[in-house]
Amino acid sequence: MKTRRSIWLAMFLLVGVLLVFGASRSGGPLTQQDRIDAITLNLACPTCSGESIYVSRAPAAESIRSEVARQVASGLRTDDEIVSYIEQRFGGQVLLVPRASGVDSLVWALPVAALIFSAFLLFTAFSKWRTNKPTSPTLEDEQIVAQALKSQAESKSKRESQ
Amino acid sequence: MKSQNLVKIVSACVGVVVALLFLVLVVSEPDQDIVAKSPLLGQPAPSVASTTIDGEPFALERRKGSWVVLNFFNSTCVPCINEHDLLVEFAASELANANAAELYTIINDDSSDAVREFFTKNGGTWPKITDDNGTIAVAFGVARVPETWIIDPNGIVRLRITGELSAGLLTEQVNRLREEFVS
Amino acid sequence: MLASAGISGTIGRAFLLVGFIGAIFGAFAAVAGARRNDQQIIRLIPRFATLIFAAAVGAFAAMEYAMITRDFSLAYVQKVGSWSTPALYNFAAVWSALEGSILMWVLILAGYTMAVAIWVRKRMQDVIATWALGVMFIVCAFFFLVSFFPADPFALGPPGVLDGPGPNPLLQNHILVMFHPPILYLGYVGVTVPFAFAIAALITGRVGEGWLVATRRWSLFAWGFLTFGIALGSWWSYEVLGWSGVWAWDPVENASLLPWITGTAYIHSVLVQERRGMLRVWNISLLVATFSLTILGTFLTRSGVLNSVHAFSESGIGAWFLAMFAVVLVVSVGLIGWRGDKLRSPGVIDSPLSREAAFLANNVLFAIFAFVVLLGTVFPLIIEALQDRQIAVGAPFFDKLSMPIGLALLTLMAIAPVLPWRKASTETLRDRLFWPAWCGVAALVASLLLGSYGVAPLLTFTLGGVASGAALRQVVLATRRQGLRGLVGRANGGMIVHLGVILIAVSLGASNSFSKSQELSLVTNVEAQFSGHTFELRDVVEVRDDRSISVKALVLVDGKKIYAPAITKYTRIGMNVGTPSVRTSLTTDIYLTLEPPVRQDSNEARIKVFIKPMIMWLWIGTALMAIGTVLAAFPGRRRKPTEPTSAPVEVAKS
Repeated sequence: MKTRRSIWLAMFLLVGVLLVFGASRSGGPLTQQDRIDAITLNLACPTCSGESIYVSRAPAAESIRSEVARQVASGLRTDDEIVSYIEQRFGGQVLLVPRASGVDSLVWALPVAALIFSAFLLFTAFSKWRTNKPTSPTLEDEQIVAQALKSQAESKSKRESQ
Repeated sequence: MKSQNLVKIVSACVGVVVALLFLVLVVSEPDQDIVAKSPLLGQPAPSVASTTIDGEPFALERRKGSWVVLNFFNSTCVPCINEHDLLVEFAASELANANAAELYTIINDDSSDAVREFFTKNGGTWPKITDDNGTIAVAFGVARVPETWIIDPNGIVRLRITGELSAGLLTEQVNRLREEFVS
Repeated sequence: MLASAGISGTIGRAFLLVGFIGAIFGAFAAVAGARRNDQQIIRLIPRFATLIFAAAVGAFAAMEYAMITRDFSLAYVQKVGSWSTPALYNFAAVWSALEGSILMWVLILAGYTMAVAIWVRKRMQDVIATWALGVMFIVCAFFFLVSFFPADPFALGPPGVLDGPGPNPLLQNHILVMFHPPILYLGYVGVTVPFAFAIAALITGRVGEGWLVATRRWSLFAWGFLTFGIALGSWWSYEVLGWSGVWAWDPVENASLLPWITGTAYIHSVLVQERRGMLRVWNISLLVATFSLTILGTFLTRSGVLNSVHAFSESGIGAWFLAMFAVVLVVSVGLIGWRGDKLRSPGVIDSPLSREAAFLANNVLFAIFAFVVLLGTVFPLIIEALQDRQIAVGAPFFDKLSMPIGLALLTLMAIAPVLPWRKASTETLRDRLFWPAWCGVAALVASLLLGSYGVAPLLTFTLGGVASGAALRQVVLATRRQGLRGLVGRANGGMIVHLGVILIAVSLGASNSFSKSQELSLVTNVEAQFSGHTFELRDVVEVRDDRSISVKALVLVDGKKIYAPAITKYTRIGMNVGTPSVRTSLTTDIYLTLEPPVRQDSNEARIKVFIKPMIMWLWIGTALMAIGTVLAAFPGRRRKPTEPTSAPVEVAKS
């Protein structure tokens, strides 16, 4: 129905507008704690396997957290500079997000490749299935069916007449 | 049939991947290096300052002019306890040297009292430096104890040893570095 | 050696030996009986099953006896036992480390084997059941062997030890340690059952639907417990660990999540095989993947390879589980390859706009999700093995990639319940999705009014609204048709589970994006404010018992009630554990932790306050999922199979 279709269109438009509005909104200025949290969420605890410094309760993590808090409070460095400062001392193992360069980028590239590849496979599978639609009966098929029905009717009348 | 081939190819791939995983894991040998990497090697040591457990001030900057050996320590960590006697020996042997290396213990996540008690029981009169908040540990990138760092008279970091020291290792390395420094 | 052995150690070992022999004989009986179709041999199988269950119970009881009596002659009791651990935590200490948890695995697996043997008692002429039990016996034998050699809980320790450190302090301060591991294992180990039947179907060549329908409740049972176990683990993480989160994407969590992902894909995809006889290779592969991932996950978490790839050559248990993983994979994939022609289905998916297509897309999405989680977990291992350097792959990676996957899954959850089988027209979709779509709009508007921002959370709320609309629509229609019976059965129970999932997704979206935190330095009787709440320190007290010294800060929140975050030092181990204190409500949790250093009777304390929105909905969602799973286990409206290939396969006559 035309009215249904236009209601749907209006709905999509409304959702689009609201999403754009919501996306451009922000939650207020970043506090120092927000900065500390953002930095520590991206640093790995050097004595744990894969936990961030934000999560880990290990002593090494506590020390690095205090250091980050101290540097954020002093206001001298940006977030990236603080991360580099820690990386310069502990090595690449404290970066929780692998850099998008070299062999490390594989960890990002492979999932994307998998997604594209499987989308491609699905697409080809669907188009193959669509072209292999079951065909309508041929003339020969119809003749066979007619013949079978005829012989069935004949044998039935034969039995009734007996 | 095509799907048969596909299944065979997938099975072969799975087999190859599992075999590779096996190979990689079985062949990998433990790291034999005594000396550990650090971005700080060859760089000026971080200028850290703190106090000893007796309240005396300590600043790494002011130790320039002599060789400095920092040992990151915790009184409950088993390798630290094991290597303690080697450190006592090292400190004793350095007394005879004109260009003696100064040994300092940096306390890592431990109370001053526990450390004092440990040293009273096991010997070792060199200064023990407190590290509240782990600032010194973070500055050097030390996450696990024990670690031993050697810094030359110019304040440049020369060596980092992670894990328990073996007999004679520290003396050997310090002597080697001293010779290189002079030449 | 025997003279000084604790009696529990010898008895326990004896039980394990009996269990191992019973499993081997049971496996032989099953395989021989199935191949020759010999009823006399087949009749022995339930006896072997009972035998190994009794042996497993005996071994576990021996371990508990040793733990309760603090028999320190055993190395395991020396490791996790202590006179100062309270009785309840001491009981749970048995599964607090490797050897004991393998013992628990053995117990649960033997229990499942016996349960299956009883269940197929009446169908023992059916060769599939015999082969399935054979597979289960072989897996049992493996675990009995592991429990005898690398992970021996009854090994003797050095003599003369009179007390031990007790279990890890994190495992002795919350009652959940009694429930989370056993419940999780009930799910984790339970996936062995449908896997065994899948292998049996492949071996016998009867890859039709009969075995699927029959094992439906076993799969649902295992999946339900796995889901609940993972949720309990998240709750434990929240209540105990003190970082205010529920999921950290660490390797142990990922190891339990991976089989859940493939298992969820399976319980959806199996509907297509029942209805239309399709996706057979998918279903068997998903079952194989689910079981293999339980073995791989155990390998990854117990061998120490994730801390350092070099740990592998030093540990014993890693090699066992890796070998088992390889064997399972090679045998299963080989069987699938061998039976490839039988697995090809007669039907095709007619249209991309059909429920079959939605389930296929579902499978693909879950497969990619599992791939992402597995890749992120093992990537540091691979890099360290290849280039000898340590890297970390943590939460930011997983969060970033699971966000689009999660949104896609929410979209599928919104559309699939209204999609008919075979083919749909866009008009049908438009009609059926009309009211669910408006639910989505309402959710979006409501979230904006409450102050939400950001594309990802807003999309989550919108799609969550649509998906709940679709699920509710199904349930309302069913109850309108059948009254209360409209709430039971696979489809309707499933919709309630979906509602639970949506609540969890929405809650995670909200708490990940809109949590706030702040460190406050409190002085006694001076009120501090944060985010519309007031906090006042009343006192700092110390509580001592024979295993710990606990310093608590008593904080008055919003002038109403006192919450006491604490730092506890476990004196026997020398470990400090922070305990958070949480004020829960339907909309927001106020989560308090105490920051060191703090001293008893001091008049100041530093606390960290976390304001976490909608955490309660996580647990409500979990409860809904549990209820929905139970409802789905009941038989629903009987359906006529629409395809001859969907009819149950006849039992072979002997």
